[in-house]
Amino acid sequence: MINRSKAYPYLLVAPAIIFLLVVTLYPTLYSLYLAMTRTRMGVMEFVGLRNFRVALNSTEFWQSMRNTLVFTSLYVLLTTVIGYGIALLLNRKLRLTGLFMTIIFLPWVLSEITTGVVWRWMFYQDYGILQNLLGPLFGGYSFIARPGGAMGIVIAATVWRSISFAMLLLLAGLQTVPKEVHEAAAMDGADGWKAFWKITWPLTLPTTIVTIVFMTIQAVNGVGMILSITEGGPGRATEVLGLLMYRQAMQFYNFGYAAAISVTLLFLNLILAAFYIRSLNRETALAG
Amino acid sequence: MTTQNKAINLFINAFLIAFCVIIIFPVIYSMLVSFQEPRMAFHSIIPERWTFQHYIRLFSHGLFPRYILNSIIYAIGGAIVSTSLSALAAYALARFQFKGKTLANSFILAMMMLPGLISVIPIYKLASDLKLLDTYTLLIIVFGAYGIPLGIWILKAFFSSIPQVLDEAAFIDGATPIQAFFKVILPITTPGLIATFLINFVYNWNNFFTPLILVTRTNMKMATVGLFDFQHVLEGNQDELLAAACVVIMIPSIILFIVLRDYFMRGMVEGAVKG
Repeated sequence: MINRSKAYPYLLVAPAIIFLLVVTLYPTLYSLYLAMTRTRMGVMEFVGLRNFRVALNSTEFWQSMRNTLVFTSLYVLLTTVIGYGIALLLNRKLRLTGLFMTIIFLPWVLSEITTGVVWRWMFYQDYGILQNLLGPLFGGYSFIARPGGAMGIVIAATVWRSISFAMLLLLAGLQTVPKEVHEAAAMDGADGWKAFWKITWPLTLPTTIVTIVFMTIQAVNGVGMILSITEGGPGRATEVLGLLMYRQAMQFYNFGYAAAISVTLLFLNLILAAFYIRSLNRETALAG
Repeated sequence: MTTQNKAINLFINAFLIAFCVIIIFPVIYSMLVSFQEPRMAFHSIIPERWTFQHYIRLFSHGLFPRYILNSIIYAIGGAIVSTSLSALAAYALARFQFKGKTLANSFILAMMMLPGLISVIPIYKLASDLKLLDTYTLLIIVFGAYGIPLGIWILKAFFSSIPQVLDEAAFIDGATPIQAFFKVILPITTPGLIATFLINFVYNWNNFFTPLILVTRTNMKMATVGLFDFQHVLEGNQDELLAAACVVIMIPSIILFIVLRDYFMRGMVEGAVKG
């Protein structure tokens, strides 16, 4: 091709890059600056690390951190374990696999708010269908009104909505386990559990780690469903970091403080992204 | 197949069917509630008398029709921006060798890993300084950018599957790369473009947290955010109406998902793994 065509690829890539710079990168960097300011009477002033000091010394920040941790660990544990189980079953090539996949996937293509409204209904105080079903088993326990119960609901709802993610990643991993390996194991008399722990599990461990890190990233950044089901309540029992950030910004117009939480989330994400890329590289290295 | 294997398969199928029933129950349940007569939402799971009145009410007065219109504008606008920009970029990344290509690829990957949650508050602050809050432009730009990385990954695969001979034939006929792109490559990639557009449409349509922050004026809100307001007002006394609003918002996503299931799944795995 002729010389002037050298400019073409750049012209083609430029618009997309510019959009990402303006909408994603610049605001993220701007949050670093915003986190070091305070707005009073419409005037922004530089206050250094004050917002971070305020956050680190406040109980609400640490409670949100704790909630994020509880939410994330249970969400990751449940999506991975259930996702792995379902993937194992679907890997057997059943006649209805397509239908099963469609249904398991469905909640994820629905909005967090529509599904949140439904989950909230199911746990209504006196007439919610799941409240009526499960309440008596727990001695009339009202899930949505209690801190632990509310956390349970938001975890159940978010796990329900994103199980397909873990399932799909793990199924892709399972499908890379060559059939011959299983046949060889069967010849050696390894069956069921033994074959699983000796062959399938070690071979899919890299994919499992990728899934765990990926689901962790999802959990740390998940707010929509919690907002629509409990709005962080009762009290602050389900207020994760993202929700604390939302309330500080949109209810108290405390943008500096909200940005400090954004920055905290950014660092969490950077650490997780590093883990993620490492786990992906290890997975591809083993697969290749 | 041995009888033992048959029994195992039967058991697995039964288990998966039960699991799927549990998974789909909340969706079906919201549909059933939406057909209940007023104040009958929680008397029985299946309506004793079916009614369509909540849907008629939703669309005959109040803010809901406006919210739906807004959602359509935001979701289509954003999807057009994402699809067109990612098509251009994906073509360059799939077809040309150029300095900085690796850098461009890693930049897009990095942007994909920065969640919207982190940037949405600064975007609000910046947009408020630029007097862009509560405008169609702002949310269309933001949605447009959100969809670019996934669009590039989907379309790159499409462009790579088209034989390079086709572009070269066009070049020999004297076409510039841009002409070759529009006249030869783009028409063949139409299914990929439509899939990218529709997937992004669904993501935008469903988005709740970003428009909640960036659009606060009532008549500019998206349906998802409007539903959040409805939830506060209607819950406990007009649950059937609330359910109807939920169902209306769910339907386009359900239909598009069933039509494009494989694209959604591939986009999900590739976005996560090849990312």
